[in-house]
Amino acid sequence: MLLCDFHIHTRYSDGSIELRRTIDLFGQAGFDVIAITDHVVNGKTTYGKMANRFRFSVQESHFPDYLLHIQEEAKRAWDRYGMLVLPGVEITKSSLSSRQSAHVLLIDLKTFISAEWEFEKIFLEAKKQDALIIACHPHHSSELMAIDTLYLWTHREKYAPFIDAWEIANRDDVFNVISLKKYPYIAGSDFHRARHLYSWKTMLNCEKEIKAIKKCIRYNRGVAITLFRNGTPW
Amino acid sequence: MDFFWIISAFTFLGLIGFGLQILAVRSYIKSQHREDPELDSTPFCPPISILKPLNGLDDHLFDNLASFCNQDYSRFEILFSLQDPNDPAYRVVQKIKEKFPEKEMSITIEECEEGWNPKVNNMLPAYRKARYPYLLISDSNVMVEQDYLKKIIQPMKDPQTGLVTNLIRGVGAKTLGSLFENLHLNSFVLGNVCLLQKFLKIPCVIGKSMLMRKKDLEAIGGLRAVKDILAEDHFIGEKIKERGQKVVLSNYLISNVNEYWGLKRFLNRHLRWGKMRWKILRVKYLLELLGNPVLFSLASLLVEGISQRSIILIVSTSLIKGAGDYYLGEKIQVPLHPLAYFFSPVKDILIGLVWFLSVLNHTVVWRGKRFVIGENTILSPYSEARIWTWRYRLRNRVALKGT
Repeated sequence: MLLCDFHIHTRYSDGSIELRRTIDLFGQAGFDVIAITDHVVNGKTTYGKMANRFRFSVQESHFPDYLLHIQEEAKRAWDRYGMLVLPGVEITKSSLSSRQSAHVLLIDLKTFISAEWEFEKIFLEAKKQDALIIACHPHHSSELMAIDTLYLWTHREKYAPFIDAWEIANRDDVFNVISLKKYPYIAGSDFHRARHLYSWKTMLNCEKEIKAIKKCIRYNRGVAITLFRNGTPW
Repeated sequence: MDFFWIISAFTFLGLIGFGLQILAVRSYIKSQHREDPELDSTPFCPPISILKPLNGLDDHLFDNLASFCNQDYSRFEILFSLQDPNDPAYRVVQKIKEKFPEKEMSITIEECEEGWNPKVNNMLPAYRKARYPYLLISDSNVMVEQDYLKKIIQPMKDPQTGLVTNLIRGVGAKTLGSLFENLHLNSFVLGNVCLLQKFLKIPCVIGKSMLMRKKDLEAIGGLRAVKDILAEDHFIGEKIKERGQKVVLSNYLISNVNEYWGLKRFLNRHLRWGKMRWKILRVKYLLELLGNPVLFSLASLLVEGISQRSIILIVSTSLIKGAGDYYLGEKIQVPLHPLAYFFSPVKDILIGLVWFLSVLNHTVVWRGKRFVIGENTILSPYSEARIWTWRYRLRNRVALKGT
C-alpha cells in the first residue's frame, strides 16, 4: 500500500517549512505520494486581501513559478526517495461565518484557478484539467482558533457530484458524517509544521503513478486511512 | 567568608574545567586532520557486520541509513532489525533496500523479549545472523561520511584493541528542543568525553557507534549478557577492559542528526542519561556539577539576590560559556548561526535542573514501560501498582493523622 498525504502547506502560503525541506521531511519518513497544496485565497474578502498582502497565498502571477518549483523538487524527490510529488492548491474561501466558508483541494492542477470564482466554475475548470477535487475538513473540527468550513457540507446535495473525495480525517480530527453518507474519502495532515507529520494519512492500494492514484481515489477502492504515529526512537 | 566568593570560586573552577574540555577537543580535532600514512600503505579492511536497530522515525532516517550503504569499503553487511512490521521505520528501510539492491543487507523483524533493554531485545535476532568477524553496533540516528568504516577499523590492527567507539556531534537543529540537544552534545558530551580520554585516560563508550570483534563480544557473553542493562554500551566497554583489551576512542566524528525535537524529548533523554550516570558514577556524578559554571553563577542570586556583582558574574559566565560553545561548534564544523549560542546558558540551566532530578528518581520510562534502575543500571520492571500503593499509604497516613 502507498503511504500518501494529499494536504500539505509550505512557505508558499502559511506553512512554516519551505518546500524543499517539506519534501525532505516526507521523503526521509518513507512516504510514497504527497501533494503540495498551498492556499489560493479569495482576494475579495478582507481575510483574502490580508493573506495576499502578507504572501500567505499563492497568487496568479506567482503560480507558474510555484508549479515549476514543485516540478523541480518532484524530480529530486523521485530520484532520491522514490516519492511521487503532485502539484496542487487549496482553494480557500473563508469568511467569519463557518457556514459560508469552504476549502477545496485541487490536485494535479496545470493552470491557475482563482478562489474568487463561484464553486461551479472552479469545479468545472478543475474537471477540465483532470485535477482531483477534494473537500477538506468539511465538518466541525476540534481546532479552537479555526473557523469551521461547513459550506460544502451544508450544500452537499448540490456539490457532491463534483467532488472526487471528502476528507474523512484531517490532522487529528475524524469526520464520521462522511462515512455515514458513504461518500468517497481520503485523509490528510493539513501539514503546516513538522509535528503535523504525525497525523491521519491515506493508504492507497495502487501503482505509484498519477493516473492510477486518481482512479483509486475517484473509485474509492483500495483506500484506507491510518493514524501515522512514530515509535520511540532510541 | 562571603558566600558570594565561594560561589564565584566554584564558577571559576567550572570555567577552568570547561577550558580543559576545549583543549581536549582541540587536541582530538587536530589529530583527526592529520594524515595517517599507515592507512594508505597497509590497508586493513576485514569484513564487517553492521547491526542497525531501528525503532520509529529518527530525523533524517533515510539519509542516515543511506550513508552506511554508501561506504567506500570492500566488504560489509548491514543487518537492520525491527520488533514490529508496523514500525514506520520499516517503510524507510524497504526503500533503502530498493535503492541499494547491490548491497549486502537484511531486514529482521522479530519480536524478542529476552531481556528488559528494548534496544538489546531489538538487536538480538539480527545479531544471530551476523556473519563477519567484526561487528559494528550503530544507532539509526547517526550519519557518516564514506570513509567511516575505513577509518574506524584501523585501531583494530592492534590485537590489543577490543572496542572502537566514536565522538559524536549534534547537527541539523531546526527547533528549540533540537537546538538544546545539539548544543549539549557539542559542548558537555563532546567536551567531557575528550577530557576524560585525554587527561584521565578513561575512555567513554558511546553506544551510537561501537566496533568490536565478534569473538570478543562472545567472550563476554554476547549481547545476551547486557539484555537487562540500561547502559549496555558502558557495560560492554567495562567487560572488554576487564579482559585486558583497550577501548579506543576514534577521533572520527560522526553526526547525530537532531532536527525536530521538542523540549520534552530533550529533557526526557537527559533525565534518562542522568539517572544512568548517577547509578554508574555515584559520588563522582557530583563532580558533573562543576562542569556547569552557568548554574553555579546563577546560585549567586540565591545568596544575595539581584545585585550588581551577581549580575556581572552571571552575565560574564554566560558569555564566556556561550563563546566557548561557539568556538567548539566551529572546531567540529557544526553549521549553526552564531546567535544560536546565546541559548547555550539557558540550556545549561535546564541541564542543571535535570541533574538534580536524576538523583531524586530511579525509574525510567522506555518504550512506554517503566523500569527501576538498579546498581550498574540493571533494569527491573516497575509495577505501576506500586505508585498507587504509595499514594494509598500516604492518603491513609494523612487520614490517620486527621483522626
